[in-house]
Amino acid sequence: MPDTLLDLSNVTIRFGGLTAVSSVSITVREGELVGLIGPNGAGKTTVFNLVTGVYQPTEGSIHLAGSSLAKLKPFQITNLGIARTFQNIRLFPSLTVYDNVRVAFHRHLQNHSLQSLIRSSNFQKEEAKLQARTLELLTLFNLQRVQDEPAKSLSYGDQRRLEILRALATKPRLLLLDEPAAGMNPSEKTELMTLIRFIRDTFGLAILLVEHDMKVVMGICERIHVLEYGRKIAEGTPSAIRADPKVIAAYLGDN
Amino acid sequence: MVPPKSQCLLIALLAIAALISAFSGRIDAYLLDVALGAGISIVLASSLNLINGFTGQFSLGHAGFMAVGAYTSAMLTTTLAPKLLGQTELLQWVVFPLSLIAGGLLSALVGVAVGAPSLRLKGDYLAIVTLGFGEIIKVILQNLDAVGGARGLTGIHTHTSLFWVFGSATVTVYVVWSLLNSTFGRGFVAVADDEVASEAMGLNTTHYKITAFVVGSFFAGVAGGLYAHLKGYLNPSGFSFDKSIEIVVMVILGGMGRHSGVIVAAVLLTALTEVLRSFGDYRMIVYSLLLIILMLTRPQGLFFWPLKGKKST
Ligand SMILES: Nc1ncnc2c1ncn2[C@@H]1O[C@H](COP(=O)(O)OP(=O)(O)O)[C@@H](O)[C@H]1O
Ligand SMILES: [Mg+2]
Repeated sequence: MPDTLLDLSNVTIRFGGLTAVSSVSITVREGELVGLIGPNGAGKTTVFNLVTGVYQPTEGSIHLAGSSLAKLKPFQITNLGIARTFQNIRLFPSLTVYDNVRVAFHRHLQNHSLQSLIRSSNFQKEEAKLQARTLELLTLFNLQRVQDEPAKSLSYGDQRRLEILRALATKPRLLLLDEPAAGMNPSEKTELMTLIRFIRDTFGLAILLVEHDMKVVMGICERIHVLEYGRKIAEGTPSAIRADPKVIAAYLGDN
Repeated sequence: MVPPKSQCLLIALLAIAALISAFSGRIDAYLLDVALGAGISIVLASSLNLINGFTGQFSLGHAGFMAVGAYTSAMLTTTLAPKLLGQTELLQWVVFPLSLIAGGLLSALVGVAVGAPSLRLKGDYLAIVTLGFGEIIKVILQNLDAVGGARGLTGIHTHTSLFWVFGSATVTVYVVWSLLNSTFGRGFVAVADDEVASEAMGLNTTHYKITAFVVGSFFAGVAGGLYAHLKGYLNPSGFSFDKSIEIVVMVILGGMGRHSGVIVAAVLLTALTEVLRSFGDYRMIVYSLLLIILMLTRPQGLFFWPLKGKKST
């Protein structure tokens, strides 16, 4: 069995009187595709915000490949190899599609502020290399056709895909996707499922997927965690989750 | 290796500045004065553009940074001048530019001191803190007898020539432009667009904001030094709130984060203030009215055009 990559152990967070996440333990192994489901308000996005350092847990601990993420700022956690997308798409609207992907290479940059003034041959070589890699990624998602458009002008589906691509540019070991299929039609959803599998296989990373669409989650995830009111109520393979009475009562029943 | 095109352009522009400067004796004195003022405005507006335009912060303290640079460089040259009597060449070509840099550095240092604690504040709050900072600087200068207090500082050598002004303007624009046109530099715009997403992409947003603040206040300080050695005297009241607003207006009219738009706006607004002199006391009223009309009709800035992607540099 592959090593544990992400390990949340008894994580709790309270916002004033509200316990949004209550003693939740979740693990994701290297290269695994894991689903995180639950009704609206169950705490799924909050789990992502905890893992990425947007919030600090009130109790419990979060580890990436054995090292603690406590007290780290979001950008530091990204630099350790966790990338994410947002439930409400958060691209850089005024940057072009190309630049949206390009800035995400930041963590691999050798040349920073001073070098961009001097523009040495070293700097130029690196910029050329990044240009090639950005184009390569864009082409992979067939977004090179709109590379010079401002990101805000893209269609909804393209914005979702661009956000995933931008996250990939940071070269994560773990990718967190927050409802990537939201607002997509059935054929786009099928495409997205293929894409997510493709990403996992090509980039060899682990994916934690929050998704409302059961077909998508059941179709691609190897293991699923279920949250309800901030608590974890079940964990298992898609078929086990489908048969779990607690899950049916909490979630599948009203679908 | 051939230097990149941008650097060839920089050198060419510096040479042109030197050439025109050599013949500045033939230029009408009033016109020359306006041109120098416009050049200093370019330095001020382009540097503020990095902070307010590209990085999306709202600083209202640019006049304060300008004051720090102005007084620092003026104090340096006026103290050193008597010791270097008769050595005008040395004063003009070595001491003066060094004093400009010293003024810029001190201003940048103050920029860190003001910026580091306050850049966590968003929008309006940052505006209020920087506004307060500018006023504090003014009051300190008014009460500091060593620099002339409220009477002002006089007897500053007028070293500021077309070469120094347009040389500084060229360097400022080059620095801001080349900072922005790199993979690293696109991060400034990313921070302006969405701080949460920037952090999620691994960008240290605090580092970006402080870099913008430091570079911006450095050049504001240089502009202050140029201004001091253009006018020959300094008065704290010249660096009040309205001066900061004037620079902010240049950035907004220039289209917030458009290099050339902001340069044009800086020149136009400087020229406009001169043209309006004929209105006498009504000058500020006409000026304000024009601004209101411009803002209502072109809220996106006079020179806004949609940003097209630049693949590389
Ligand atoms: N910053 C916050 N302050 C207060 N309450 C919050 C905050 N973030 C999330 N919550 C609350 O936590 C609960 C879980 O929210 P969320 O994680 O967004 O749910 P999900 O993504 O599963 O739909 C909700 O009740 C929400 O209102
Ligand atoms: Mg959510």
